[in-house]
Order: sequence, then structure tokens, then C-alpha cells
Amino acid sequence: MIPLSHFMLISGLLFCIGLYAVLSKRNAIMILIGIEFMLNAAILNLVAFGKYDKQVMGGQMFALFAIVLAAATVAVSLAIILNVYTYHKNIDPTTIDQLRD
Amino acid sequence: MSLLSILIFLPLLAGLLILIIPASARNSYKYVALAAVCIQVLISAYIYLNFNGDVYSGVDTEAKFQLVERVPWINLNLGAMGKLQIDYFLGIDGLSMPFLVLTSIVMLVALIASWEIKVNLKGYFALFLLLDTAVLGVFSALDFFLFYIFYELMLLPLYFLIGMWGGIRREYAAIKFFLYTLFGSVFMLLVIIGLYFSVTDPVTGNHTFNMLSMMDPKNYVDGSIFSALANAEFFGISARLIGFIVLFIAFAIKVPIVPLHTWLPDAHVEAPTPVSIILAGILLKIGGYGILRACVSIFPDAAVQSAWWLGLIGVISILYGALNALAQKDLKRMIAYSSVSHMGFVLLGIASVTAEGISGAMMQMISHGFLSSMLFFLVGVIYSRVHDRSIPNFRGLALIMPRYTAFIMIAFFASLGLPGFSAFIAEAFSLIGAFNSSSINGLLPRWMAVCGSIGIFLSACYFLWTLQRMFFGETRLMGGDKWKALLTDVNPRELTVLCILTSFALVLGIMPSLAFDKMNASVLELIRLVNLK
Amino acid sequence: MPLLTFFGSLIFRGNVIRGGAFAICNISLSLILSFILFMQVWNGPAIHEQFSWFTIGSWELQVGVLLNNLSVLMLLLVSGIALLVNIYSTKYMQGDPYIRRYWAYLGLFCFSMLGLVIVDNLLLIYMFWELVGFSSYLLIGFWFTRSTAVRANKKAFIMNRLGDLGFLIGIMILFSQFQTLDVTRLFGADGLVKAAVVSGGSWIGSAGSMPAEWLTTAGIVFFLAAVAKSAQFPLHTWLPDAMEGPTSVSSLIHAATMVAAGVFLIARVYPLFDDTVLLVIASIGAFTAFMAATIALTQNDIKRILAYSTISQLGFMMLAMGVGASGSALFHLVTHAFFKCLLFLAAGAIIHEMAHLKEKSGKDFDPQDIRNMGGLRKHMPVTFITMAIGSLALVALPLTSGYLSKDAILIQSFEWAEGSAGWHRLIPVSAMITSWLTAFYISRLIFKVFFGEFRLSALTGGHVHEAHAAMRYVLVILSVFCLFPVFSFHPLLFEDAWILQGFPQIDSMTRVNAFHTVVPAAVNLISIALICLCYRWYAATAKAPDYSRSVLFKFSQDQWHIDRFYSSVLVSGTTRFAGLLYWIDRHIVDGLVNTAGALGRRLAAGSRWIDRYVVDGLVNFSGYLAGVVGNFVRHFQTGRLQHYLVTMLIIILTLFIFKYYTAAI
Repeated sequence: MIPLSHFMLISGLLFCIGLYAVLSKRNAIMILIGIEFMLNAAILNLVAFGKYDKQVMGGQMFALFAIVLAAATVAVSLAIILNVYTYHKNIDPTTIDQLRD
Repeated sequence: MSLLSILIFLPLLAGLLILIIPASARNSYKYVALAAVCIQVLISAYIYLNFNGDVYSGVDTEAKFQLVERVPWINLNLGAMGKLQIDYFLGIDGLSMPFLVLTSIVMLVALIASWEIKVNLKGYFALFLLLDTAVLGVFSALDFFLFYIFYELMLLPLYFLIGMWGGIRREYAAIKFFLYTLFGSVFMLLVIIGLYFSVTDPVTGNHTFNMLSMMDPKNYVDGSIFSALANAEFFGISARLIGFIVLFIAFAIKVPIVPLHTWLPDAHVEAPTPVSIILAGILLKIGGYGILRACVSIFPDAAVQSAWWLGLIGVISILYGALNALAQKDLKRMIAYSSVSHMGFVLLGIASVTAEGISGAMMQMISHGFLSSMLFFLVGVIYSRVHDRSIPNFRGLALIMPRYTAFIMIAFFASLGLPGFSAFIAEAFSLIGAFNSSSINGLLPRWMAVCGSIGIFLSACYFLWTLQRMFFGETRLMGGDKWKALLTDVNPRELTVLCILTSFALVLGIMPSLAFDKMNASVLELIRLVNLK
Repeated sequence: MPLLTFFGSLIFRGNVIRGGAFAICNISLSLILSFILFMQVWNGPAIHEQFSWFTIGSWELQVGVLLNNLSVLMLLLVSGIALLVNIYSTKYMQGDPYIRRYWAYLGLFCFSMLGLVIVDNLLLIYMFWELVGFSSYLLIGFWFTRSTAVRANKKAFIMNRLGDLGFLIGIMILFSQFQTLDVTRLFGADGLVKAAVVSGGSWIGSAGSMPAEWLTTAGIVFFLAAVAKSAQFPLHTWLPDAMEGPTSVSSLIHAATMVAAGVFLIARVYPLFDDTVLLVIASIGAFTAFMAATIALTQNDIKRILAYSTISQLGFMMLAMGVGASGSALFHLVTHAFFKCLLFLAAGAIIHEMAHLKEKSGKDFDPQDIRNMGGLRKHMPVTFITMAIGSLALVALPLTSGYLSKDAILIQSFEWAEGSAGWHRLIPVSAMITSWLTAFYISRLIFKVFFGEFRLSALTGGHVHEAHAAMRYVLVILSVFCLFPVFSFHPLLFEDAWILQGFPQIDSMTRVNAFHTVVPAAVNLISIALICLCYRWYAATAKAPDYSRSVLFKFSQDQWHIDRFYSSVLVSGTTRFAGLLYWIDRHIVDGLVNTAGALGRRLAAGSRWIDRYVVDGLVNFSGYLAGVVGNFVRHFQTGRLQHYLVTMLIIILTLFIFKYYTAAI
């Protein structure tokens, strides 16, 4: 029986890696991957905590729902990145700063 | 709709009509206006003929007014403050009826004089008719709020009429006139509101703007500022006296009295002829009418208290105006100052609170309405020909303009009180009333009447001097032969106007009963009210 | 019947027909009617008819006509003289381009004069009184292109206006006191004025009372009215100037009728006067008579001499009024009206001829200057004779009407002075001296004009002719009226005169004392002596002693400097004062207004400053602040996704830490 703290440790590690990727990568795809990392860290947590809810399996259900949602988000995000690429010929988020004042 | 409402709003409708008519038909404006004013004259003549002076003595009883029209107008429930009740309340009695007739006729005259106006006809005639409505409204309103609205409504068209169609310094004159009058009327509004909170309608129990209710001491709320019983004081002066003085100043600016008269010469000199006619012929009378209708009727006790000062101001106006007229070189300015002098008689007559004095004052207002219109019209005739009206620039006009000279002699002599003309009766009775006052009610000392009669003498001086300087002697004009060619005698249009005015002055002078019969009962009623205190 | 006269004169007023035939018809009609009325009323019951004119307040003004002895006498006199003057004018004014106006004015004058004498109400009298003044204004200024004429008519009207002022004040006093202006009710035999008593310093009338001084004041102001109209000192100067009008007008207005209106008024309100006022009247009358006579001594204008003579004679009438001889005053008024009218018309005839001569010869000379005349006796005999008769009447030699009336006045004034204290005696004495002066100046006039050589024959070479027939007949008729039989069958005793019988008798009507013989004798003898002296000086030798350098002569020639005094002191004083007041008006009263306006603008400017820099400043400052903050914050807006995310992280962490620690605490 793997204790809960290990799951937490793993998911915290994953989250930090994802966060790092999101904050530091110069490529939108990599940032997306970082986001996926963070998402999966959260899902891992959901599954891990799901063992305390054996009647309805709320944690696992929610994890499955989140995975499906993550897939959808990735699809939308990739589409956006594709469009950004066709518009800017570039997917480096540091150079695309048209939102600034 | 009573006849009175029709009379008042007819000019307004005509004015709107003029605004609608396209500018391509600009020649029709004056005919529309003329038609409206003519109908107005007819209506007022009808009112005059059907007016029964003895029955409808009016002043403070609603039943004694003729053509009463009372429609609730603004009825707001203000919760804790009670109900705001403003009526559309019209009616005429012997004090106001003569002025309706006077207004109609003077307006007709002024309109005919407006033939000279050449620019911006649409605006001119629309404003002219608006002014007409306002003036008629003032003379027939019995609700103080309505009165005030009409009173203020007069200012607007006048401001533009002087400011846009006037002479060289027209803007200065217009602003001076406007501010002067506004100064008075703003404070008047305060008093009106004070009265509103002091008076309740005996029937409904609401506060009311009804002037007639204001005249009855019973309607005052206990402890309110203008209640005679409460005897409230400001700065040690009783509130009623202050109310009277404020109202008096508001109207006295219109009359005008010395020293609040200086707007008058400027406004007259700068205004175009028709506006001068209206100013002198009607607007000054609103001052006198207001003093009778509002000041004296609502604050009779204060009126009696300050009668001495009123009389003094009247006498000073008479003498001061006359002496100033003597010093003038501008014909129009001289006539303006003579107006100040003549209106002084009105004040003196009112201050006497005798039947003779007040009737004389009323008569003086009517007669001055006709005569000053005539004088200003005559000045306008000469001004329109050569654009100059400086007395020293003319001499011997009698030779080249004999008919004009004849009329100006009539106007001058009528103004200086030649018997046979209305001014004589008016001035004589104002003075007799003033003199009599010390025997009847002891309000005015006798010397005031004596000093006032010196004004009659001075008026002879300045009129005759002008006559001698401008009209007699060999012809000598500043503009030489060019002027001589321009100075043609009066044309038929002018002749009509002059004949109308002359005949009115003459008829009233020979048969003053035409006016006196209509207003005697009202005058007596007013005196009864004042003596009741 | 009286109304008919009234309307007759009303119609008459409307006439403007050239030639004046219509005017003459009308005035004749008036004359006939007045004559009928005269016959009916004289010494009979007075006719008094009234109707209501208008009501003022509760007081009804009743007006109407009152015909008693006084008014019918005046009616007859006025219409009679007016008729003669009308006839005279047809020729005198012939050819004047404005003759239509002349007739109209004359008609208006007659209307108002007739109205004046018949109405019964003081207010109406006042109205006609002013109308008389007005029509005389028109007539004096008839030749309005002459600047002297218009100045004269202005002066006349204004001086009359001063009198009107007095009249008006008098009306006010009486109205206030008695609440009626009806002449009969006020001044009748049992009228209100008599019923009013003075007690305890106040004058108690039927409707009120006032301090007793007002009784005297009332008398004085009515007298002031009469003074102005009858040209008494100090308001006499308009009359000589009024001679600028046509001579026919002068004779009608300024000799016969209008100036008599003052005397008429005094007679109407006679019961009002108390002793003080009567004394004032007598003194002013005597003084005026004397002053005017001295001035007449040195004048050279023929009309001016006659004008001053008129003033002097009016002074006599006033004197008579003052001493209580109202009957004699009116008698003198009537006789004077005839002989002065005659003198004026005769003078008019002479002036007319002289003016023709001037026109014909083209030379420039004054046709009214008596120094230019002389020897006219031969050329104009009728004029000479009639004028001489008129002069004799003026001097009051026996057999003339003037003798009757003037003696009546002199004798009664002596009797009055007899019963009074010290200096009152001066009054009759000065009157006597005046009548001697009269003899002198009028004979100077006659001798200078009609005797000796015609002084201009060398200059003009022309002849003067007798006046036109119409004018001559008028002169003859008038001269008949200057003789005694018309008034009294006894040539020497004025007591028999029928006019005097018609008025309230006074004691002295019976010949009780010496005055009745001594006075006329003294007057006449010395007058005749003076006339002889005059003849020697001016006619026979034409070598009058030259006094023209003496102070008195200049004083008289300049009309006692009164005119100059008025124009330099009063008139210019008034105009200066008016100018000053106007200055005050412009600069102080109006200045105050303009200062208020300027002050308002200053205030506005000040508040604009405050508005701009304080109120608006606050608003702008808050905006500025927002801008500064915004500018500072914008640096965070890099547009880089990752920066935002870092910020978010930091904030979340901060919140978390904050939350964690606060929860711990």
C-alpha cells in the first residue's frame, strides 16, 4: 500500500515541473505541455484522494471528467497555437506581446 | 375657454403660425400679426363694452370679478408639505380692464410702427406676439404664480427685441434692462413663496398662490411670517413691511421711480420705435398696476405705513424727471425722462389712498399710455427719415413738415396737461387726491401736492423749449438739403396711427367718464380694503 | 339757451374758411345770443344749469353754465370785441399765407374765452383758463418763423403756466376743504366759503379743516393765477413780448379779453380773500401800475408802449379789487377793453401802413418804432381822431368812459386808505401819480406819431394812406364806446354808471366826502398840464430835453431790468440746475448702477479665477492623479503571457501565505 504522501509528493513534483515549463519555456507547445503537467498533477491528487470515497467514486469520476476536459482544452489550445503560428509565423509567447499597452 | 383666455393666447397662436410659415412668404408675417392684433382689439372692445363697472368691482372678492376662469393647473401632493395648488386663475375688474384695452390699442399702434422693421422679420414678429401674450396675461392673472410666470415671460422677448433690433448701444441697454428687472422680480419670487406658505385656501385648506386669498387676513396661517397677527420681524422691521417693500421695489423698477430709473432712458433710446412704444405705453403701467394689485392690496397695512415715503418718491420722480428732461439734447431721451416725471404722478396718486388720487393715477397711466406711445412714434417718424434725433440739429421743421408739427404740438400739449386731453384730468386729480389726503387720512402732507404741481409747470418748460428749438423759426438742418429732401411729411400709415392716438387722448379728456365709470367701484373697493387694514 | 351759445361757439371753433366770413358769422351769432342772454339775465335772476360730467370715486362732478351779471357782462364784452377784431382782421391779415390757421386759432381763442366766463365750476374754469393760454400761445407764435415770436409765445405760456399752477393749488385747497368746485356753492351769497370760519388757528370748512394759513395761501395762489394772466408784477414780462403776434391779436387778447380773465377770476373767487390777501392784491396792483407807467415813458415801440399801458391799467383794476371796489374794477375792465382795443387797432392800422411802405420802398426800418413816424395826422385823419379819443379815455379826461371808471377806482382807493393805517396811503397816491404818468406817455405817443413832420419821407418818398374801410369802421365804432353816454348818462359822475349798479353796492357809492370832487379835479388838471408839456416837447418844438443818459431813463428803458434778471438768473439758473441734475443722473445715479454692474463683472472674474484654479483644479488634480497611477501601473502590462502568470503565481502564493499565517494566528 503506497501511502498518500507519495502521491502528493509526485503530484507536487509534477506541478512544479509544469509550472516551471509554463513560466520559462519559449515555445507555446512547451507551455501547453507544462499546463498538461499541472493538470495531471491535479488529476493524480483527485485519484489519490478518491480512495476515501469508495461509495460513489467521486474522485475517480471527477478525474475522468477532467481528463476528457483536458483533451478538449489541448485541442482548442493547439488550434489557437496553429492560428497564432499562421498569423505570426512564430509561437514564442515572449515576442507576441500585442496585448500590452 | 373664456374670452379672456382667447384674448391672451391668440397672439401666441399667431406667433406660432408665423414660425411655421416658411421664410419665402416673409411678407405675410406682418399681416398675420396685424390680423391677430386687430382681433385682439375687437375682443377687448367687446370686453370693454360688456364690462359692468359697478357690479364687477373686484379687488378682493372672486364673485366680483368678470370673466373669471379658474382651472386647477398644477396639483402636486407633496406629502408632509401639503398639496401644491396652483390655479390657472384669470379674471378682470375695474383695475385691470382698462389696461387690457390700452394694451390692445398700443400693441396695434406698435405693430403699425413695426412696418419699419426690415431684418429678421420672423423672429421679430414672433417675439412681438409672445410679448403681447405675456402682457395680457399679467393684466388678467389672479394667481400670483401665474402672474409671476407672465411677468417673467415678458422679459425674454423684450430682451431680444431691444438687443437685436435696437440702436448702437443696444446690447448694453438690453442687458441693463434685463438685469434691472430681474433683480426686482427675483426678490419678488421670494415674497411670493413666503406668501404661499402663509396663506391657505379657505375652501380646500391647502396653501395657495391665489392673490385674492392673500388679501384676506383670515386666510393667513397662525404664526406664519406674513401673518398680521404673528407680527414676525426681520432685523427689527416687521415682515409684512419688508414684503411690501420688496414687492414695491420689484414693481417700482418697472414704473420707474427715481433712483431706479436709469435703465429707462437707455432702453428707450436704444430700442426700436415699436419697442419704445410698448415699453412706455404698457410696460411702465405694469409697474403701477402691480403696485395696486399686489403691493397695496396684499399689504394694505404696510402700504399705509409707507405712504409718506411713496409720496416722497413720487414727488422726487416728478421733479427730478422733469428737470432731467429739461437738460436733454436727444429728443427721445427727453421723452424718456418726461415719462419718469409723468409716472411720478401715478405714484403720488396711489400713495394718497384717496378715491381722487387713485382714479387720477389710473387715468394717468391710461393717458400716459396713449400719449407716450404717440410721442415715441413721432420721434420714430423723424428718426426713420434721417437717423438723427438730436434737438440742436433741427430747426424750423414746421415749415417743411406742417402736419407732423401739428401732431407733435398736440402730443406735447396733451402731455403737458392741456385741458381737453386726458393727461390734464389725470394729473389734476392725482394732485387733488394727494392734497386731499391730509384732510381724509393724513397720509401725505400738503406740500407734496404743491411740489408735484411744480412738475406740471416744468413739463411746460421742457416741451415748449423743445418745440421752439426744433420746430419753429427758419428752417435750418444739420444735414442741409439732403435732409430737407428726406424729411417728408407724415404718410397715410403714420397718419392713421397718430389719429387713433390723438382721438383716444382727446376723447378721454373730454369724456373721462368713459374710463372713470368702469373703475370707480373698484377704486372704492380698494380704498375700503386699505382702510380695513 | 346758454347751451346754444356754447354750441354756437363750438361750431365756430371748427371754422377754417379763408376770408373769415364764416368766423364773422359765427361770432356775430355769438354776439346776438350773448346780447339776448344779457337782456335776460342782467339784474335778473341768474341762470344756472348743470349736468353730470363724470364721477370719480364716489364724488360726482357737476358742471354746467352759470349766467349772472358778471358772466353775461363778460360774455357781451368778449363777443362784441371779438366780432370787431374779426372784422378788422379780414383786412389786416389779408394775404397772409396761413390765414386759415389764423381764423382757426382765433376761433379757438374765442371759444375758450366765452367758455371761461360762463362755466360754473372751478375745474372747468381752469380748463378754459389754460385753453385761453394755449390759444394765445398759438396766436402770439402765429408767425412762427420769427424766432422772437416763438420765444415770446413760449415765455407767455410758461409764465401763464406758473399762474395755472397757482390756480391748480387753489383748486386743490378748495376741493380738500369743501368737496365741491361749484362756483355758486362755494362763493354764492350763502356759499360754503362764507360759512367756513377761522377759529383757533384752523380754518374749518364743510368737509375738512386745515391750518388757517391755508386760507391765505388759497387767496394768494388764486391771485398768483390772476397775476400771471393779467400780467402783473412780477409775471408781467410776457405781455410786452407777446406783441410779436399780429396786432389784431394783441388788441383782442392782450388788451381786451385774455388779460381781463385774471380780473374776472378775482371777481369770481372774491369771497375767498382775507384781509392779508386783499392788501397784497392792492399793493401789487398799485406797484404794477406805477412800474409799468414809468417803463412806458421811455419805450419807442408803439405796441410796447401800449402793452405797458395795458399792464398799468390792469394794475389799476387789481388795485380796485384789493381795496374792495370790485364793481369799479369790472367797470374799468369794460371801459378799458374798449379804449385799449381801439388804441391797439389804430396802432395796428398805422403799423400796417408803415409795413406796406417798407415793402414798397424796400428800405429797412422798423415799422413799429415811433421815432420813424410823425405827421401822420394829415394822412390818416380817421385813425388820428379815433386814437386821440382812445387816448383821452385812457388819460381819463372828462366826457370819456375812462374818466368814469378810473375815477371810481381812485376815489374808492382813497377812501379805503382813509380808514387804514400809515403806509397804506401810499397806494392811492401812487395810483394818482400813475395816472399822471399815463397822461404823459400816451400824449408822447400821440404827438410823436401824428404831429410834426413825417420823419421817413426823405428815406422812402412814399405816402401813407388811410386804413381800409373795414378797419376804419371798426375804429369808429370802438371810439363811440369810449365815450361816456354808453355807460352813464351823467358825464362826470361815475356813480350813475349802469354797470356799477349791477354789482354789489358799497358805501362810497354815495357822494359823502371830499374825495369825490377833489380827486378827479386834481387828476385832470395835472394831466392836462402834462399833456400841454408834452405838446411843447414833442409836437410844437420837437425839442424834448434829453434825459437818455440819466440812470432813471436807462432803468425805465430796460424795463427795470426785470427781464434781464429773469433770463440771467431764473432761466439759466433752472437750466444749469437741470444740467447739473442730468450730470448727477448720468454719473452718480447711473454711475452707481454701472458701478454695480462693473462690480458684478469683477466679482464674476474673481469667481471665474476661483472656479478655474480651485474648484476645477481639484477635479483636474484627481484626473492627474489617476493618470500618474495609471502610467505607473502600465509598466506591468507587458503583454507577455508568462509575466502575467508569474504575477498570478506570486499573488496566489502571497494570498496563500497570508491566509496560512493569519489562520495560524
